[in-house]
Formats: sequence, structure tokens, C-alpha cells
Amino acid sequence: MAMPELATLSTDGPIAQLRLNRPDSRNALSIELIQALRDRVAELRGNSDITVVVLTGQGPSFCAGMDLKQVQAGGDTPEMLLRSLAEFTLELRALEAVVLASVNGAAIGGGCGLACICDVAITHADAKLGFPEVDLGLCPAVVAPWVVKRIGAGRARALLLRGGLISGRDAADIALVDQCADTRDAFESLTESTARRLAEGGPQALRATKSLLNEIDGSNDAELLLRGAALSASVIAGEEAQTALRARFGDR
Amino acid sequence: MIRLEPGTVAAIVLDRPNQRNALTPAMLRAIPELADEAVAQGARAIVLRGEGRIFCAGFDLKGCVEDPRMMRDLLLALAEAIRALRQCPVPSVVACHGAAIAGGCALLGGADVVVANADAKLGYPVVRLGVSPAVSGPYLRQSIGDGPARARMLDTEIITGRRANELGLVHEVVGNVEEVGMRAMQIAQELADKPQSALAATRGWLTEIAGPGKPESERALAVSLELVGSSEERERLEAIWGASDG
Repeated sequence: MAMPELATLSTDGPIAQLRLNRPDSRNALSIELIQALRDRVAELRGNSDITVVVLTGQGPSFCAGMDLKQVQAGGDTPEMLLRSLAEFTLELRALEAVVLASVNGAAIGGGCGLACICDVAITHADAKLGFPEVDLGLCPAVVAPWVVKRIGAGRARALLLRGGLISGRDAADIALVDQCADTRDAFESLTESTARRLAEGGPQALRATKSLLNEIDGSNDAELLLRGAALSASVIAGEEAQTALRARFGDR
Repeated sequence: MIRLEPGTVAAIVLDRPNQRNALTPAMLRAIPELADEAVAQGARAIVLRGEGRIFCAGFDLKGCVEDPRMMRDLLLALAEAIRALRQCPVPSVVACHGAAIAGGCALLGGADVVVANADAKLGYPVVRLGVSPAVSGPYLRQSIGDGPARARMLDTEIITGRRANELGLVHEVVGNVEEVGMRAMQIAQELADKPQSALAATRGWLTEIAGPGKPESERALAVSLELVGSSEERERLEAIWGASDG
């Protein structure tokens, strides 16, 4: 029996849906899931029939962040995980189609980072978003540049240093997402109407505009992202992070 | 005129309440020294607040009228105080209670988190004095973006804590001015309780990726310094502050 795909792609006219499909682990980003996402993004790349990609999560969570088993695995695993995340973030950002994050539930750490990379992000009032990395002794260095681009350096500083999670409503107030629906039902229709509206744009105009924005805001700086991955991995390897992770999740 | 309350969460207190904590060069120069002292005594987070109802009304302009060299000293010491808070190994929280005007508002640039009361008054109304708030520019554009930063520095309008929160200059608002200091201490305590290496690595990385870099900060300071002692500045300071009885 074939294993279920960790990331699925479906299309409906000019709108594609890219879905994190690891609901039993709240769509936590493992090396395997990131690879599946990168494969799906590669399928979308250069496909001029697709104007809009909706990124969402299967089940109640959008994405719970990095797979903490792999973060704690020791050896080369954490650095491999972070490097593949860094490379995926660059590829997702560089996708020609407009990407809409439909944050259907918890978007935590690297998961919230994914929402920041998308061109437009929406959520609902019951969703929890944020970056609790520092609380676990970790450094969100790979996602930090994307958070800075999304909400500005000052707010990013306060948000990343204070850790914890905020509501979908508060996320909209600081522009971490562009819109917050009051209820889950309203969120479903908001996702649909937003995707459809985005797809009304001229594909060529959308691509040219997105490409310019990526160029002027430094979205193509791979070297920076890879340095972030190395910094994050070195913090994970430190005694403080190891102790904090053991205290939280027990010995592995 | 300024004092340190040591502790795991240390407080640097502007202590000149009868002059609304108006800043002298000595007070600003003490900020880096007291921050170092706090860290040496084991502080894991720092709160900057003012004694009395008002955080800080800005530079001591009466002093600037009396001593033409003082403006220069104030600007140099202000830039250094902001830089020192940013570079300090532990995070800082500014309790922006009542008002943070001009040089007082500039101090917010050094903080990681700013708390204010909803009615607090914030702004940089210094161009009317012939003074340039350029020294705040690199930090202000980080916290609120280029467009709003331009308006805040060129327009002498004073905004509320609530508006400053909407813009991103303030990260949390409380209802009453009396609650600001307490809330700042709570947030600082939360920061102090976090894993310190992770916090330090994240603070350093944010400065590395988002700046402001040294050339930008130095250029901004130079622009503010170039205007010091201009006839425009002297005339306007004299007209507004020379006649008052302080």
C-alpha cells in the first residue's frame, strides 16, 4: 500500500491548492514533509496555467512548526532540517504564481513562518499564531527575515523575542495576516473569495509585480537564509536548548 | 537625575520629575553606564522608565538656550544611549507613561518592547525648533515603516499611545498611566525568564538582518549635528524657551 502523500496538490482552473498532509503530527515540518512540499512546488514552477496557489493544512492545524523529534535527533539531522526549510522558503517565495496562505488553524514557529512567506495570508479568530522558539531555547533565524519583511523589523523584534502565541485577531492587528474571519465558516468562504479575486488579476501583471517585489525586498538572498539555518542549528546544539527541549519533551 | 534599581529585572529611572524628566547630557551618558552596571550585577532584562507621571519630555531645552554647546552633547549622548540599549546583552523594555516627546521618544528606538498608556503623547516636534530628528530616523523606519516614519519626523503632530500602537511604535497599550510601569516590569520579567542564549542569538540576528547598520546610524547623527548652532536653531530656541522662567 502506498504511503499517503505528505503534501498534496490539486487544481481547479487557475487556482491550485497545496496542502500539508501530515495531520497526525499537526503538519509538523519534517525533512520528508519539506521534501514533499519542495517536489510539489517544483511541479508548479513554470506552470503558466496556475495564477494562484492556496497553501493550507489538512486537519485542524495549519502547521505546528518544525518536527521536534528531528530537531532533537542530534547529529546532522537538525542542520539538514533547517537547511531544507531555508531552501524551501526561497523556492516558495520565488514561485511565479501568487501564493495565498489559508491559515486554517495553529501556525506555530516555522509554520507561522510559512504564512509570512506567502503573498497574502488570511486566518480566523480561533487560530493561534506565533513564534514560541525562544521559549524552547531555539532561535527562529530562518524565518526571522520573512517575519521582518512581513511585519517590519520593530514588530518582528517584539514578537520573536516575547515568544508565545497570539490570536488570529491580534495577528491581523499587527499585519502578520491580512485578514481574520470571525468564524470557521466565514473563513472557508473568505478563502474561496480571496483566491478567486486574486485569480482575476492578469497573470502577466501579477507575475511581473511579484517578481519585482521579490527583487526589491531581498527575497532572493539565499546566502542570508543559509546563514540563518547554520545559526539556528548551532543554537539547537547548545546546552541551553538541549536542556530546555528535554524538560519540555523528555529524553529521546 | 537618573538612577539604577538593580535586580534580575533592573530599572533605569529618569529621575527629574519636576522638569518632566527633561534630558541632560549627563543623564543620557549615564544610560549606557547604568545598563552595563545592571548587567554586571546579574540583570537579565532592563526597564527604562521615568519618575512621576511623565516618562520624558525630551531634551532640557532651557539648558540648550543657556549653553549653545549642550545640543551637540545631547545628540551625541542620545545616539550612544540608543545604541547601547540595542547592543546591551540583555533585552530592554521602555515604560512610555504619560508622554515621550522628541529626545524622549527617540529613546524608544533602543528598546525591544515598548509599553504605553492609551492616552500617552508621543512625537518628535523638533523641526519647529530648527532641530532635526534625523538621529531617530533609522530606528523609526524600522518600527513603523518608511512612510509613517517620514510623517512622524517632518510633522510636529503629537500622537496618542493607541495610535502609536497601531503604527507599531508601541507594542502594547494599557488603559491607565499608572499601569504602564507595572506592565513593563512584567514583560521584562517574562523576557528575563526565557532561555538567555536563544534570546541573545535572536536579538543579534535581528540586528544583523534588519539593522540599522552603523553607517546609516552615523549618517543620521551627522545630519542632526550639522544643524547644531545654526541661526535658525538659536533664534527659535531663544524665542520659545529663552523668555520662559523654566
